[in-house]
Amino acid sequence: MLEAISLTKTYPPRMGLSMPWRRPAPVVAVRAASLCVAPGEVLGIIGQSGSGKSTLGRMLVGLEKPSSGRIMIGGEDVADLLRRDRMAFYRRIQMVFQDPYGSINPQHGVFETVTRPLLYQRERDTKVLQARAKDALERVGLRPAARYLETHPHRLSGGQRQRLCIARAMILEPRYLVADEPISMLDVSIKWDIIRLLKRLVTEEGLALIYITHDLATVRSLCHRVMIMRAGEIVEEGPVDAVLDAPRHEYTRALIAACPSGVPEVAA
Amino acid sequence: MTSFLLRRLGFMLLTLFVMASAMFFLFRLLPGDPTATVISPALHPDAQAVLKARFGLDKPLWQQYLAYIANLARLDFGYSFETARPVSEVIGDRLANTLLLLLPSLIAAYVVGALIGAFIAWRRAGALDTIIVVLATALQSAPVFWVGMMAILFFSLHLDLFPVGHIVTPGRQMEPGLMGYLDPDVLHHLALPFFVNFAYQLCFPLLLMRTSMLATIGEDFIDLARMKGLSERKVLMRHAMRNALLPLATTLPMLLGWAVAGSVVIETVFSWPGLGLLMVGAVERNDYPVVQACFMLSALLTVMGTFIADLLYGALDPRIAYE
Amino acid sequence: MRLLLVSGRQFIRVVTATTTGKIALAICLLCLVIGVFAPWIAPFDPAQKHYEAGKLLRLSPPSWKHWLGTTSLGRDVLSQMIWGVRPALLVGFSVALGSAIIGANIGLLAGYFGGRLDNALMRFTDIVMGVPFLPFVIVMLSVTGKGLWSLILAMVLVMWRASARIIRAQVLSLKEMPFVSAARITGGSELAILYREIAPNILPLALVNMAFTLAWAITTEASIGFLGFGDPDVISWGGIIYDAFASQAMYRAPWWVAPPGIAIMVLVSAVYLVGREYESVVNPRLGGR
Repeated sequence: MLEAISLTKTYPPRMGLSMPWRRPAPVVAVRAASLCVAPGEVLGIIGQSGSGKSTLGRMLVGLEKPSSGRIMIGGEDVADLLRRDRMAFYRRIQMVFQDPYGSINPQHGVFETVTRPLLYQRERDTKVLQARAKDALERVGLRPAARYLETHPHRLSGGQRQRLCIARAMILEPRYLVADEPISMLDVSIKWDIIRLLKRLVTEEGLALIYITHDLATVRSLCHRVMIMRAGEIVEEGPVDAVLDAPRHEYTRALIAACPSGVPEVAA
Repeated sequence: MTSFLLRRLGFMLLTLFVMASAMFFLFRLLPGDPTATVISPALHPDAQAVLKARFGLDKPLWQQYLAYIANLARLDFGYSFETARPVSEVIGDRLANTLLLLLPSLIAAYVVGALIGAFIAWRRAGALDTIIVVLATALQSAPVFWVGMMAILFFSLHLDLFPVGHIVTPGRQMEPGLMGYLDPDVLHHLALPFFVNFAYQLCFPLLLMRTSMLATIGEDFIDLARMKGLSERKVLMRHAMRNALLPLATTLPMLLGWAVAGSVVIETVFSWPGLGLLMVGAVERNDYPVVQACFMLSALLTVMGTFIADLLYGALDPRIAYE
Repeated sequence: MRLLLVSGRQFIRVVTATTTGKIALAICLLCLVIGVFAPWIAPFDPAQKHYEAGKLLRLSPPSWKHWLGTTSLGRDVLSQMIWGVRPALLVGFSVALGSAIIGANIGLLAGYFGGRLDNALMRFTDIVMGVPFLPFVIVMLSVTGKGLWSLILAMVLVMWRASARIIRAQVLSLKEMPFVSAARITGGSELAILYREIAPNILPLALVNMAFTLAWAITTEASIGFLGFGDPDVISWGGIIYDAFASQAMYRAPWWVAPPGIAIMVLVSAVYLVGREYESVVNPRLGGR
């Protein structure tokens, strides 16, 4: 179980030209957000840009420190775990980023990209690295893995790069995965492949997925439950069909109305 | 704006203070007695003591340091070890001589370099572009003292057009004040080093102008200006060049500071009585107070160059607002 | 190691893309070869005094025996020229390497950690920016004594300043890239992220700066030699010009003065051109080609 309890993130105000007696209020990126997700489950977080959904995702994986609130992973407090055993935490939860270009180090080959997490986890045995890199690539559909291992990421397409990023995250065998708009920079034809891949990882390997997006079509086919975020607050949450078919909040209705309908069925 | 100015000025003073302190302790690190060259150990101890007191060398180090900083703050550099005259008197108009050598040639190099750079970028000159860039690079890469020697060899000795060195014909005295610098004899002596430094400094503004012009030409507003029906020359002058001038204007004061620091070599070749020549001589004669003063003066110019460059940058670029 | 190979290959591919680059690189390599094999290439011992009919062969013009003539002490100019490649390249490469190491580290630390460390390091860099370069080197040499390594040290102490600023700016934008976040949440420590993820990406920019530092260092080494502050035991191009200048014979013996100046000009231009070719591709601010 991954649980977040009343997470809030505020940023200090920008120290601009303002007068000292008129301190601007701090910026609240996320206000009192709570969520939970269990293995084999997909939670969608939907919101427009600037709604705080990415900040929420970054807090879940420890990239941002919550200003208040706590996160529990498998019954353990994340702040504690990070202090005690950082590496153990990273083996439980991983993240896939929006930009498949910027999230791969341009100086690294495919092999380095996918095995770097293992190196950081003190795995130095070349044979083990080779075997696990191959396994990780095949799991995300980069087959034959041997061929991909020899190339450089700049030869790969956007979709292949995003698969590589997923492989890098999955090589640590995490139970939880945060995917922050993983398809928003990909072609329409490719994005459903990635969605299918994520869906397979959830159903076959029992992964818990937190899927952050503004793409409602993919949400319906991938997610079990959804949360709608607006200006740092969760305005509505519930089972995906209930929320999307019978939205209770005005904002959710507006969001659905603005989206094109016509959701293709996706088989796992 | 005012607070920005004050902050920058404060930092400038701090920089100079740090450098002055470094200088002070650097010379005290010298193995042996730095005063041995000045105060002969053969002298009677009493006479030695008198001399040491005169240079302030009898006090403990920290007192010497405080006195040194306090004196520097009043632009008092002490007495020359060699001649025992006040350093400020020794330096005299050395700085002005250096500036006379550098400033006109630097400005001329900037103007001509910028024009050539703009021209080859505008015309996308191809082979000519390559040739000019390589030539300018060669001029910049050739050691300036060597170019000076070659120039003397050819223009002074072979063609006998210019004097071989010095600021005035030996035996003559320079008129004091500004008029002294307009003396035809001085200008005649200035001509050769002027051209040598001009050639040396040409490359930087040329390349800078070329690069920023190439970048500017690609921008939308140039096409816009063309579509308004302006002639090519007007587009070049009014729009493209004006935008490319910004980096040029801001680097000029900085480069002047660097040029002063580098003037040592060109002054040596032409026996030009500037700051650099004085410094080299003083180092050779272990005249530390003079060395210190020369160093601090060129540091002052370097730091001021950066300071003015920053100010200019803020004044000319509307996108920059002082924090 | 692999990284160096890859960058090296990229470097050669980029530089040899143009004719200018090819020629310039060839000149640099030629100098390198001459420098390494100087003792075998030089026709004579550069310090050997040549006699003809029992008389010292002073200021002999170029001849079949002495292609570039002799000095006022009867020494072979060509041999001196060939030996003079060594200090030029030694000083050039040492200063370039030393400055790059210091400058890159200061830029990396300041850019990555930001805050007070950044502030302190950058103010320090600003102070060093104000140091007048040549006077500083002269003063340092007068304190440490003349010598090749003192000269290298004095130059490195100042010349790191340019690359520190440029690399810091690059690090500021690199550290916002998602691959840094990815490294962090897979367990990379701050130092691992800085030196294993970010540092390889500033390597091309550091190389460009090394080329410019190299060129500048060769010129400075010659200037110092010319001013008479060079290592008296080392034959250098600047030193040859100094000898000619000091002997008062330079205007009578152009074969003695011209070659070292031309050599410096050609080598330094070549290094500059190589650096610029590489920069035009690597520097994000020049937009690539």
